[in-house]
Amino acid sequence: MSERIQRLVMHAFRGVPDEMTVDFGKGESIAVYGDNGTGKSTVADALEWYFTGEIEFLSHEGRQHAVRHVGGDGDGATWVEVVTNGTLGGKVDFPDARDPQSFHDIRQETFLLRGRTLAGFINKTKTEKWKALVEILGLDAIERLREDLQRARNDLRKESKSAEEQLQAFRNALASGNAPVTRESVLGNLQQICEMLKVDPPESLDQAVDPFWLATAAGASAPSSESADRESLLAEIKALETPTADVKGLERWNALVTSNRARLLPRATLVREAKRLVDERSLDGRCPLCGQAVSEKELAKKIERALVDVLEASQELERVRDPIAEWADDLDASHDRRSALQNRGRARKLDLPALPDVPLEGLQNSLDALIPIDVKAITGYLAELRKWDQAAGKLAQKLASSSVNTRDTQLLMLAALCEQIKTWRLGEKKAARALQAFNLADRVFDAYQSKQKEDLAELLKRISRRVAQLYAALHPGENLSEAVSIEPWTAKGVELAVEFYGSRQRPPHGVLSESHLNSLAIALFLAMAEEFNQQLGFLVLDDVINSFDVEHRGRLAELLADEFSGWQIIVLTHDQQFYEHLSRRAPSWRRLELTSWSYESGPRTNKYEPSGILAAARERLDSGDVHGAAAKARRALEELLQEVCEALWAPLPFRRGQANDKREIGELFKGLRRSLKDQAKPFLESVEPLFKNLEADVGATLNVEVHGSRRRSGAGEVEAALKRIETFDQTWSCPECRTRVWHRGSPEAGRCKCGQTSYPPARTSSLAKH
Amino acid sequence: MHRPSAQEFLLKLLETMEDLPQDFALRFEEVLKKDEADRSQAIRKLFEDAAGE
Repeated sequence: MSERIQRLVMHAFRGVPDEMTVDFGKGESIAVYGDNGTGKSTVADALEWYFTGEIEFLSHEGRQHAVRHVGGDGDGATWVEVVTNGTLGGKVDFPDARDPQSFHDIRQETFLLRGRTLAGFINKTKTEKWKALVEILGLDAIERLREDLQRARNDLRKESKSAEEQLQAFRNALASGNAPVTRESVLGNLQQICEMLKVDPPESLDQAVDPFWLATAAGASAPSSESADRESLLAEIKALETPTADVKGLERWNALVTSNRARLLPRATLVREAKRLVDERSLDGRCPLCGQAVSEKELAKKIERALVDVLEASQELERVRDPIAEWADDLDASHDRRSALQNRGRARKLDLPALPDVPLEGLQNSLDALIPIDVKAITGYLAELRKWDQAAGKLAQKLASSSVNTRDTQLLMLAALCEQIKTWRLGEKKAARALQAFNLADRVFDAYQSKQKEDLAELLKRISRRVAQLYAALHPGENLSEAVSIEPWTAKGVELAVEFYGSRQRPPHGVLSESHLNSLAIALFLAMAEEFNQQLGFLVLDDVINSFDVEHRGRLAELLADEFSGWQIIVLTHDQQFYEHLSRRAPSWRRLELTSWSYESGPRTNKYEPSGILAAARERLDSGDVHGAAAKARRALEELLQEVCEALWAPLPFRRGQANDKREIGELFKGLRRSLKDQAKPFLESVEPLFKNLEADVGATLNVEVHGSRRRSGAGEVEAALKRIETFDQTWSCPECRTRVWHRGSPEAGRCKCGQTSYPPARTSSLAKH
Repeated sequence: MHRPSAQEFLLKLLETMEDLPQDFALRFEEVLKKDEADRSQAIRKLFEDAAGE
């Protein structure tokens, strides 16, 4: 079952210093409206933190601790409580001690789209898009297994190649002339030698490698296996082949990494960040990086071009780098082989010259750091290695031919030949087995990758259809219903594509405007949620229409209200038109307006809640938190005065903007007195002592607490102040029906719901008959 | 949408492949139970062992 949110409570969290509750009824959609900085995004932050264990943009900046509102009063504990219509609700305290595995599945669902990250997916490279999609689709475990299979396959390929090279060296040692080395030719040669030495020839190679055959055939004078091994070693040394370098390939690398385009590569992240900055911020005619005057459009174009260049250069780089990296592996293997021969020689008192240093580290550094390869160092090394091979070969030749023509030497050579045949056959088995292992790994890997690609392509096809429909709904009349799709790109990439006047554009940045790209991101978000969400039945859209004109804001409102009526949509916006569009199009949605935010009070809504705040103040006082009670009491008085001033149209000084709920208490009292003086003078005289006491409370008891004076108010003083505020609150309500005296009527003449209490009061005592 | 696990995905694939060594899928299943950190080495060894048969 997809769950909906019924209530969200935040405590000392992000922009909320104390506690804030957002009521979603039975899980209804809601539009939250408020200017920038009024605390809207705190709602999105709380839901993201609760359901994923982090707020992504804070985690990226390493500011996870900013989840907490440090200036909150009360016990200061940070927590978020979510009530749902299912089982996903609960309360999470900061720091979050939950096991990330516990919400792993939910993390993969799509529920939050923010304006600041709107174009994030679209701007990713093909490989990054693949990774992001794989994560969204919950296929990351499948992708990780693919990577493991690939690593195993690559290791086996290297091993197979190395075994094949070793086998080739064994073959070279057995070769006579240019004739290919086969079992028949080797057996034939061996039989000829045996006949020359008057030794019974073996019938097969299996017999030849059997030590008993040689001992029996050659009699007591058969040489030891140690001597034979030495001869075999000499033969292997003589058969060494010096590796060669693909100088042209190395030069191609050097040309590439020193080209202007390759210089962009290390700047890829910077360019992407610059693009994000330009997309998200108004530049006011200045470059955000260097501060110089610049045309915004021109700068955006330059960044776009740089991004395209970076992508192309990156692909070309991979094409040139891969064969060099493979060759470096071969060079490493060839060095290891000589090093092994050197060690074997040392054990048999055969001192081979010192091996030249292989310049692998420099080569690897060049590949990693995208800098030119020192071709001279490579060719110099290969020349040195050739000299080493020649010197080692001569030494082996000299030692092998130092005592010829004696029967013992001839038998020794025969034994060495048998040893070589043995090594060759073992090498053959090893190479065959390594090749078989590699072939099996390659076959499984290829099948795995193809299946993965096939499945993803099928998924992409499904999503593409829905993305295209949603995108066309946002841009009707532009004939785009078949134009948009997500397409696989090589083995590990995906790309967004758009049909633009008969040509397929991938990626679509070059032909779509910013608002079209944003529409595409919204369509993608909605399609993903529809297709893949299993547990979450709500979607949060936080300030996503910044680049939309009035018409497209209306279209998005229609789309959300009509096509997503089965979902709980939580829209957070600072755009009044969009808010009004939604209110008209979706009258059943809840609405919440945030009017202001302050460090001490947090977000304020357009609803007055003095009774709730007074109750909270009383709770604090009862629990011994005098400081917290005083702060709450002051806030309650402020809220109460604002409510009364608004209801009675109290004359207050003009303020530009919407700062009415940020007025000082003294200012509000002044306006209220003027209003009462004009409309209910006898009533004003009766409440004036209460007003004066309240003003004294603010100056002496409530204000000092709030502003942290050294003078600490006692519980008794705060208790007295609270009682006066409660009296002030009751003054404006009917004791019978509990509604305000301005429930009906006008600011000049109102009455409560039951009609028993009116304003201005008929008698001079008080409004509320006590 | 049903999201298959890596194990489910691979085993389903192996079922469709012909000429695999005996009990290969079963042995692969065992490897997948291991910690992901050592998995590529374990997979490599599995291929080597299977090739020797």
